[in-house]
Order: sequence, then structure tokens, then C-alpha cells
Amino acid sequence: MKAIEEAVRSDAPATRVVVVEDDQASADVLQRRLQANGMVVSVAHDGRRGIELVEELLPDLVLLDVMLPDTDGYDVCLRIKSNTATSPIPVIFLSARGEVVDKVRGLSCGAADYITKPFQAAELLARIDAVLGQARNPRVPRLGRPIERAPGERLVARVAIADPALREHVQQLLASRFDLADADETPDVVIVEGSAAVPADVAEDVAVIRVSAGRAGSDGTEMIPVDAQLPRIVDLLVRERSLDHDLQAAAEALIVLASAIGSHDRPSAGHGERVASRAVQIGRALGLDDSTRMTIRLGALLRDVGNARLPAAILTKSGELSPEERAMLERHPILGEEILSGFKRLSGLLPIVRHHHERLDGTGYPDALRAEQIPLEVRIVSVADRFEALLSDRADRPAVSEAEAVRILQSAVARGELDAAVVAALATQVRAGGAR
Amino acid sequence: MTTPAPAHETDAERRHEHRFQVSESIARLVMRTTANNLPLSRDDRPYQWSTTTYCDTVAWSIFRAAEKGSAMQLRIREYHRTRPREVLNPGTAWIEFKDDEQDTSLKERFGVSMEVARSFLRGDTTLPEDHGLAERASLLLRDGARPVAVTQYNRLAYNSLDSSLRITADHNLMYFALPWETRDDGDTEPSPLGSLLAMEPDVIVEMKWYGELPHWAVDLHAYLKESTREERPSKFIVAMRWLLGETDGTKKPKKK
Repeated sequence: MKAIEEAVRSDAPATRVVVVEDDQASADVLQRRLQANGMVVSVAHDGRRGIELVEELLPDLVLLDVMLPDTDGYDVCLRIKSNTATSPIPVIFLSARGEVVDKVRGLSCGAADYITKPFQAAELLARIDAVLGQARNPRVPRLGRPIERAPGERLVARVAIADPALREHVQQLLASRFDLADADETPDVVIVEGSAAVPADVAEDVAVIRVSAGRAGSDGTEMIPVDAQLPRIVDLLVRERSLDHDLQAAAEALIVLASAIGSHDRPSAGHGERVASRAVQIGRALGLDDSTRMTIRLGALLRDVGNARLPAAILTKSGELSPEERAMLERHPILGEEILSGFKRLSGLLPIVRHHHERLDGTGYPDALRAEQIPLEVRIVSVADRFEALLSDRADRPAVSEAEAVRILQSAVARGELDAAVVAALATQVRAGGAR
Repeated sequence: MTTPAPAHETDAERRHEHRFQVSESIARLVMRTTANNLPLSRDDRPYQWSTTTYCDTVAWSIFRAAEKGSAMQLRIREYHRTRPREVLNPGTAWIEFKDDEQDTSLKERFGVSMEVARSFLRGDTTLPEDHGLAERASLLLRDGARPVAVTQYNRLAYNSLDSSLRITADHNLMYFALPWETRDDGDTEPSPLGSLLAMEPDVIVEMKWYGELPHWAVDLHAYLKESTREERPSKFIVAMRWLLGETDGTKKPKKK
């Protein structure tokens, strides 16, 4: 298997084709014909093996017989088209079944073409070329709405210049890269002229940039000239300042996190990384994009950062917690949100940190949110957290198997606590023997 | 807000509805016989993809009632020429209410724009009353019912001209989970399907009729009863059993 994969990947320019054909002689003829035309061909003689090959090799094209010993080609095609990783791969049916209903059914299963046997090799090759030519790039699935600021989102600038002509000129220059702040809007940057005073209502953490319309600053203050380069320079300065601020804040957060893990929660070392990894796998199964999966990963890693502000005695207590201790423990999502709320670039993680103990039926904490109020990213981390916890020995119960853990989570779904679709995605992974 | 529906279809009375799970070869025979006696349905393009999105509450009240033999399904149906990977797509949607009992069903549906269908699901739009099903559906929505599971299949449908008999064969039946919608989800964005829960290896043949069956259909019904692999619950029940892990693909749900 590995040899096939390596051989195929070492020949990147060649078209890679998986042929699923139960008749050995037909498969051999087809394989030779395609190889003679520069294609790398792998053959499966039943549907199960065909799906395995497609998932492993991710070929450029699948040629699929309808009648197979273990299933039919329609089933194989639908499985290929239902898997996010394989769905963009074009499929061509090759079948002796030539009735209109068979062709309609094959094409409606997502096939790019349907060729009736016997066929001329020249026609087959022409159709393969046509299908490969039309194969679109994989469509990026619509994902859950990102809960963090999009990388390309425009910054907001406020021009606090007294001279009306200069103010209008600067506003026109900045409009190409910035949104101009309304009166009640908090800007990312404030532009002032020369050494003029910064408006009193501008918060301390907002970047202030001083510009000069040809008059050098008399007190040595660094001035940015008002010309065509102004928007680019302001943009760079603001983003650099923001990055510096966030790096400093992130470093502080990591110190707090390391402190929490090291001093309070040693028995669960590694649990956070497993939860993050599992949550990302679920996110991938649900078609979430890279950015959202990164948010999920960081949110999962930092979800219990609030524990750092709880007494160690509560976190390490082996017996039952008193009502007061329970109430204190259930404040850790709020404390975690407080710790991270100062970091602008981590704002997308806050819903995960605050709400990962909420339940769909409203019985969770700290806000007793109900189903539609809990973002999908949060529901994914909640499921991953509970699943990974069940796989570990705890003081009050032994670890359970993955299959048993899924059953326990399905019971929680039936009680209305967890998102059924998220647990279903997890169950699919577990049945498949883990994420690929 | 009450929005007049551009298309409204309803059963005149409860009709018989029997489902059979049969092999591909049996289904071919059955549909060949059917084609000799009934015309293809004018409203159903052969083998078009039917996508049905089912609603339920976090407490699964609709499913639990269905398991007890009587329940009203609340669902949104879409038709596409190729299988969509998303549901609640822009275009025409059919809001369907179906009151299932042991042997009979009563269905009412409204063809509206997906925008109106979404508005109805949010409780912002009401539909005209007929059998009281719309009011029951509104109560379910107020109780928190939301889209939770999806079926997709290719349907071949034959209908008598007077609509007294309808025979369908559903191929490639697939069951999907659908993540719970969040309040800030875009109103007009389609929802991506969740995980594939299961695929039906067989063909589902359904017979629906009013009054007496014609002789050829009586024979066909008897043949289907002999040939069926098992008693067939509704697609909704099967989908929900898969979704909640209450079946492993065998005949009976797992005992709790």
C-alpha cells in the first residue's frame, strides 16, 4: 500500500487514476491503455477496496463499474462524494447497463460522465480529458461563521486634525485602506497633526500617529509626511503595534497557563492537547475551515485557564466538593474569560473559554445558555472535552473504551445536553479507527 | 405576519401508507409492473434528488412520540438535479407537516421561497390553517424544534391521474446529521450537511392510496409484503435512531 502511494506521489505530473472493475481481464486492458497514455493507474476489484484506494491515493479521476461483487457503483460513488476529502474527485461510470434510467441514476449520484460498454478507447480518453479539464478546484465549504476578526478586515481610523482642508485630504488618502470612524466608534488609530494634543476621549491603548503636511516637527517628534505613502505606512505601524501588544499579552497568558497546569492540575497533563486535537478532528469532519479550526484548537487549549485563579485545594480535592466549592469551581470559565479578555487577538476564543460547560438544554454553567445561543465551535470543544475525560482514569471511575465513551455521550445527547451532529461526527471517527 | 403560500397541497383525508424495504432486483420488478399501470408523476423528475430536513427539539419530543406510533413530522423538502452538500438552499422549499399513525398518514405542504421557510422556522411567519397541522407545527417551533437531521435520496414516482394511488421507489437513501443552528447564523446561507450517519443498501418502495386498491395493485402489495426484508419505519424514525445512536444498523433498536 505504501509503495503504491510513494510511487504515485513521486510522479506528480502524471494523471492518477483509480479503476474499480471486478472483471480482471477488463481491468487489465483498461490499465494498459491508460498507462500507455501516461497515466498512473491503481486497480480495485470490489467496492470496499475501491473506496480504500480512493481515500488513500486521492487520485485525479475514478473510473467506476456499476456492477461490483460486494456493492454497486452507485453506492461507491455516493461514498466518494460524501467524504469531504474525496468529493472533488471526478468519477466516470463504465457500465454495460445502458438504459436511460441507469445513466440518469449514475449521473445523479454525482458522476461526471457515464460511458456504456463496449466503448472505443479513443472515446474513453477524450471523455477523460474533457472531465479532467472541467474538474473544478475543490470548493471551499461554507463554514461556521468565524468568531474572530477576519485577517483581511479593514482597520478603523479617526482623523483628528483641526485644519478642514488637511483633514479632508488625509481622510481621502486613508479611505483606500481604512474605514473612517463614526463619532461614537472606537478607532484602531487616531491621526493628529504635528504636536497637537490627542483628543481627550481617545483611550490609552489606541495607536496615535502624527503627520506633517510639509512642516517638520519642531520638538523632534517623529512625523509621517502626508503623501500617497501615508495609508501604507499607517497600516504597517498600526499592525506592528498591535502585534507587539498581542505578543506581550500572549506571553503573559502562557505564563498563567503554565502556572495553572504545573501547580494545580498535574494529573491531567496532556489532556488539554488531546482535547484540542480531538476537537480539531471533529471540526474537520464537519467541514470547518482552517481559521475556525485554529480558533477551536487555541480555545480548547486555553478553556480551563481560569483554573489558575482557583485555590489549588479545590482542583486537587479527591472527595466530593461542598456547594461552596462547587460554586467556586464553576466560576473558572468566567475567570478564564477575564484573564484573556485583554488580548484583542484572542477575542475569538472567549466564547469557547466562557461557554464550554454550557448544555443545549440550558442546564450548563455559567450562563445557562440554550442550544441556539451556543456557537458550534463551543459545542465541539465541549464534546471533545467530555470524550477525552472519559478515556482517562479518574478518582471516582476508571477509564472506558472509545466505543463506550461514544455511547455515554450519545446518552448525553438523548438527555438534551450535547449537539447530536457533533457527537455523530465523533462517532464516525471512532468507528473509522480515528481521524485520517 | 401571515404570508400567502404560492402553492398549497394537502391530503383530502387520511390515506393508507405502507413502506417496504426490498432488494434492487425486486424494486426493478415492482416498478416495471407499476409503469405498466400508472404514469410517471408529472411533478417528480425521475431520479431527482429529494432532500428532506427534519426538525426536533433538544428533548427529542417529536421522535419520542413517533416511536410510540403517533407523531407529527415537521420538515423542509428541497428538490435538486444533482445532490447538494448543503441544505436550506435558496429557491423553492416545501414546508411539510405529516401526521403519521400506524397505518395511515395525513400530509399538508406549502411551496414557498426558502426565505419564507426560514422565517417560518424562526416563528416569524404563520401559514394558513387547514387540518390544524400548521398550528401544531408552530407550537413545536415555539417549544424549540429546529432542523436536526437530513435524508437524501433519488425518487422514482408513479401517480394515478386522480391521485388516488401513488407508488414510489427511493434509491441511494442517505441519512445525515445537521449541527444545531446558532442564533447568529446567516439567514440566507445554506447549512452544510453534518456527518453521513448511514446509507440504505436497499430500495424503499412506498405505496400510498385512498379507498380501495385496484386488483393489480392488490397483487403488487401482496408481492411486496412477501418480498420485504423487514417492517419499515418512517425515514424520520430511522434517521433519528441513527442520529441518537439507538441503532447499529440491525433490525431492532438497541435495548437501553
